[in-house]
Amino acid sequence: MLNIRRIALCMLGLLPAAIALTEPTFAAPTGEVKIGLAAEPNTFDPHLTVGRNTQIFIVNVYDGLTARDAQGHVVPALAESWKRLNPTTWQFALRKGVKFHNGDDFNAECVKFTLDRATHPETKATIGSELSTIAGTEIVDPFTVNVITKTPDFLLPVRLGELFGLMLSPKHTSAMGKEAIATKPNGTGPFKLVTWAKNEQMVLEANESYWRGAPKVKKIIVRPILDDAARIAALQAGEVDLIAPVPHARIAELKRNDKLVIKTIPAPRIFHVTIDVRKPPFDNVKVRQALNYAADVNAILKSLYFGYGTRLATVVDKGALGYDPSVQPYPFDPKKAKALLAEAGFPNGFETEFDSFTGSIADHSKPAEAIVGYLQKVGVKAKQNVFEFAAFGPRRVQNRTAPLFIYSIGDAYLEPSWVIRWMTQGGLGMHYKNPKLDEMLTRIEATDDPKKRAPLYGDVQKLIKEEAPFIFLYQADAVFGMSSRIDYTPRPDETQWLYPLGLKG
Amino acid sequence: MRAYIAARLGTAVLVVLGVSVVSFVLTFLTGDPAEIMLPPGATAAQIAKFRTEWGFADPLPVQYWRFLRRAVHGDFGVSLQHGQSSLPLIAARLPATFQLTMTAMVLAIVLAVPLGVLAATHRGGKIDLLTMGVALFGQSVPNFWLAIMMILLFAVSWGWLPTSGRGGWTHVVMPAAAIAINLMALLTRLVRTTMIEVLSEDFVRTGRSKGLREVAVVLRHALPNALIPLVTVVGLQFGYILGGAVVIETIFTWPGVGLFTIQAIMNRDYPVVQASVFILATAVVLINLAVDLLYVWLDPRIRVT
Repeated sequence: MLNIRRIALCMLGLLPAAIALTEPTFAAPTGEVKIGLAAEPNTFDPHLTVGRNTQIFIVNVYDGLTARDAQGHVVPALAESWKRLNPTTWQFALRKGVKFHNGDDFNAECVKFTLDRATHPETKATIGSELSTIAGTEIVDPFTVNVITKTPDFLLPVRLGELFGLMLSPKHTSAMGKEAIATKPNGTGPFKLVTWAKNEQMVLEANESYWRGAPKVKKIIVRPILDDAARIAALQAGEVDLIAPVPHARIAELKRNDKLVIKTIPAPRIFHVTIDVRKPPFDNVKVRQALNYAADVNAILKSLYFGYGTRLATVVDKGALGYDPSVQPYPFDPKKAKALLAEAGFPNGFETEFDSFTGSIADHSKPAEAIVGYLQKVGVKAKQNVFEFAAFGPRRVQNRTAPLFIYSIGDAYLEPSWVIRWMTQGGLGMHYKNPKLDEMLTRIEATDDPKKRAPLYGDVQKLIKEEAPFIFLYQADAVFGMSSRIDYTPRPDETQWLYPLGLKG
Repeated sequence: MRAYIAARLGTAVLVVLGVSVVSFVLTFLTGDPAEIMLPPGATAAQIAKFRTEWGFADPLPVQYWRFLRRAVHGDFGVSLQHGQSSLPLIAARLPATFQLTMTAMVLAIVLAVPLGVLAATHRGGKIDLLTMGVALFGQSVPNFWLAIMMILLFAVSWGWLPTSGRGGWTHVVMPAAAIAINLMALLTRLVRTTMIEVLSEDFVRTGRSKGLREVAVVLRHALPNALIPLVTVVGLQFGYILGGAVVIETIFTWPGVGLFTIQAIMNRDYPVVQASVFILATAVVLINLAVDLLYVWLDPRIRVT
């Protein structure tokens, strides 16, 4: 009897604990992580960002209407849902109860203010070209907005996500002024910017009332460490826990260090050689195919990237929506290349020029040199020109590029149509046009559901491979070095999203 | 004396102006920042629109006139990258560069003088050979290589010093040493040569013959005379030191003017490049002026002319 009473008492005593366990509890953010990056943002003003390095980082302080998950799928963020009302009107239903770091409420007014600011000529937004389809924003009710576009824009929900749709607080932005917003941002994102001494360090602190739940790490210190060797040294010495990027040449050595973890992920930068299809002999598809058979792209990946890259069959990258692995790359087959050239009437090859450049975000001159070497072996005597990137720019703008030139495009949208439209724009040295391809893309762009859109890209990839308006190359891996005490998974779209970053143990 | 200073100041202004013209033309020739600033998907039409809006499409004389009109008011324009006025941005980074270069100079002199004196007084001996070996190494080693080697040894292997960045005194040791090494070597050889020369002069023999201790002869009588050329060389080397600082600041991410300028050049942030060239040129000219004046003060014989 006594025992039963005792047990009952004990159980009563445990009851509060049991209740506590059933309630969802978010662990409070703890600890500190130090990060060493090759480049820091140029500004926290989302409309004046320059370069991917800024766009992939400032998202930690802000939110867009949409976001991406770890696999790269578009998911709701400040907008809970969205739909196209008519070809040129997108409606976004906004999340309620979200607050900016300073306590301001997020609502439809913020969306209108932000997009009006981004598209106003006075802002001189550097990202203006990516939002040029927007005609205006209408507030339907405090948590519903309509964004009207000049022409149908199926990509608008992605544009208004982490890429170019980071939301500002009207009150804070107006009060701060244009210069101050660069270093004193007020977003709704998982981290608050506490201090930032440019070229020295930046301190981020967890936003404990973040709408997704508080981040795991309380404090993040970001140090710019420009030099590759010094950045790796900082990781080896334990001064920082996470570094990016790591040069491919150092991966093998760092992997042998059991205190470090190296993670790689294909970066959505698509390397390719543009062929000027207007100029003979490149108007002949057999010649273009021959060029694709001639280059041993796998060998280039092996020697220049130490194997940390992905051979691409077309200009659709592996992480993009609708990437079709069944479309196989051209094999390396110099005999076939020579045969095709002979069929096209060039049994002894021909002479041409090949433009390349140095001083851009990635190395383009060494791969170019290798490709030129392969082309020469099948009789295509290409003369390589090497420009400084800034000097190469005007050549492209004025359409004065050589019949062959190497380039790469970062597929920030992870959407093949965006890449292909850009590559077939009829400018910047890219002159391939195909009404059939246009028609296929138009049909894809009218399909709002990504799941239905994805399979439609299969035929596009087959067509592009067959037509070969480019020498299809590869995408290189993005490489992250980290200490074994942290847990971090790089995202396929390059975004340095620190929200899920955690400490082990 | 006053006329001398006025003439030197006049030349200094011309030099700074000349440097800014040359840097302006050079940056213009290397292309414009449109493509670096715009997202990768920008079309040819959007790039053209951007260039017109930002004034990069204007002819060189128009752009230079706009630059000059602003520059005389100390306004080098707003940084394309940072959205802030460029001159204050550079000015804010001067103390870091000043700390680094001055530490390097002091380090070089403090090491070079005793080494040079030792070598001169032990001419032909083992100490001389060793010192000259150190100097040869110091003059021939590339400072960026030395920087990386020091990082690997002192920061990664032994953990004595931080790998990069700016903070306490430990942060300045490696970057300052990397900059100082070439100058140290040069000065050691210089001190050795001039000391040998001075030690063979009559007044030294007189000193010795009247029974002065060797230490007194060397330190009190010979050394001050040997140091006069050192002042000139240190002054002339200041420009090289700043040049070295650009490389070393980048390796160590030392937040000074050099690093900031390199980033500005990479990003084609012209207002910052212009402001930085202006400030660095002014600094070099002023230091040289100061050295000239110091020389006049040190060596009375010059004052007559």
